[in-house]
Amino acid sequence: MAALLEVDGVVKRFGGVTAVNGVSLALEAGHIYGLIGPNGSGKTTLFNCITGVEQIDGGQIRFKGRRIDGLKPHQVFHQGIGRTFQVIRVFPELTALENLLVVTTNDYEAARARAEELLGFVKLTGLAGEFAGNLSYGQQKLVEFVRVLMTDPELILLDETAAGVNRTLLNDLLEAVRTLRDRGKTVLLVEHDMKMVMGLCETVFVLDHGEKLAEGPPGLIQTDERVIEAYFGR
Amino acid sequence: MKRLALFALLLLLAVLALYPMRGTGYGVRFMLQLFMWIALAQSWNLISGLTGYVSFGHIAFFGMGAYTAGILIVKLGWPWLWASLAGGVGAVVLALVIGWPCLRLKGPYFAIAMLGLNEVLRVAVSYFEGLTGGGSGLSLPALYASVPIYYAMGVVALAVTGLAYVIVTSRFGLRLMTIREDEVAAEAMGIDTFRYKLYAFLLSAVGPGIVGGLAARDQSYIEPISVFPLIMTITMIVMVLFGGKGTIWGPVLGAVLLFTLQEMIWARFIYLHQLLFGAIIITVVLLMPRGILGVLQQKYHLPRTI
Repeated sequence: MAALLEVDGVVKRFGGVTAVNGVSLALEAGHIYGLIGPNGSGKTTLFNCITGVEQIDGGQIRFKGRRIDGLKPHQVFHQGIGRTFQVIRVFPELTALENLLVVTTNDYEAARARAEELLGFVKLTGLAGEFAGNLSYGQQKLVEFVRVLMTDPELILLDETAAGVNRTLLNDLLEAVRTLRDRGKTVLLVEHDMKMVMGLCETVFVLDHGEKLAEGPPGLIQTDERVIEAYFGR
Repeated sequence: MKRLALFALLLLLAVLALYPMRGTGYGVRFMLQLFMWIALAQSWNLISGLTGYVSFGHIAFFGMGAYTAGILIVKLGWPWLWASLAGGVGAVVLALVIGWPCLRLKGPYFAIAMLGLNEVLRVAVSYFEGLTGGGSGLSLPALYASVPIYYAMGVVALAVTGLAYVIVTSRFGLRLMTIREDEVAAEAMGIDTFRYKLYAFLLSAVGPGIVGGLAARDQSYIEPISVFPLIMTITMIVMVLFGGKGTIWGPVLGAVLLFTLQEMIWARFIYLHQLLFGAIIITVVLLMPRGILGVLQQKYHLPRTI
């Protein structure tokens, strides 16, 4: 069976800079993947390519065997791919609850029940009626995280979701990601926190200068010469 | 509280419905123009207050409605009410033609494009003399219909405000606001932002189109500079900002306060009028960018749906 998501030789250029240079990776359903690399290595650009925010200059992206490159971001979302952003992008003058409600178009009562359940899950029930912009940084990150879950997407891309979230909540978050995996969902996360990546991910991809440097289980990646060189220099 | 507000609203509507029987000719004309400004401000609020896409040429839809209705009345002898409704249709068609390319532009570029649209239309209307009378304008057959036009304007103002209520209290309205809040995130959350903007834009053109037609009938004479004036767009914007953008009653409040002020005081100081207007813009932008209702909302934790 084909992989859930296939990124096949994707190229993305900005003027003279090649941000992503022929990257290929395949994600199987029901696993947690990590995407790491130094700053500017193309992690977020790759996310943007997958989700249709950026149009790719070469290669193909397939989801469940169907090409999704060329689709608009909202179309990619409806294929079953949800994402969070590196920089917080909640809707500040909508309440926490409304931030979740806008995502689905189905029955209002069902959407509301789902939104309340998700806010309860990240312990924000008491703040449901507060403008999202008034919440703390960590709380906003959590709102963004559960907002993605409103439609129960099959693939979830998390861009540094854990950064700025306190320890207790972080453990809940990690638990949530594992639960999603156990329910057959697939997660690809960008993180700088190596401990978290190593503890959570089954497979890690390493990007450097827009190219895939290495791929494998966390233990192996940690000892890979090229990876160490990319991070710490020779 | 909610029932009390509803009761007060119904009472107000009843008073307004009966007003022409007792009111003076001046009073009726004053109210008729106030209704027009409510409809215009509220319409601008639908696109710009909710989605954050500032339309700097919204009066173009008013002018489109005025000329559509004027031509239908003069050349084809249509009754003014049908002609005005056709003006609304004309404005929506224009909004579709303009919105399709322009709503793909981001914020400031859209504002400039709309400004350009208004100027282009004004020139175009002057050019097609055979149809529009060109620069010398279009005279409509004489008709004294202040009272029927009063009711028509009132119904449009009420309908546009009702539309704002329905939108702001719905998830459709929330999605429009996500465009204002963060368009990239809205797209990523599956919202087809272009389609939503287009819907809001089309809805925002209906009201100005109809009241444009009614105003043409009311004034019996239209010319390019009288129905495409930039100052009218600016006035609607100031009314909305003053009252509270993105709210239901803010545009109504802004229109009532500013139009009344303008009629009562400023008309006596012609030159001070524009100076005062400028002063209000600066004050609002600097001191209370959310407008009167926005400030009250924050201070007393009122729901957004006021």
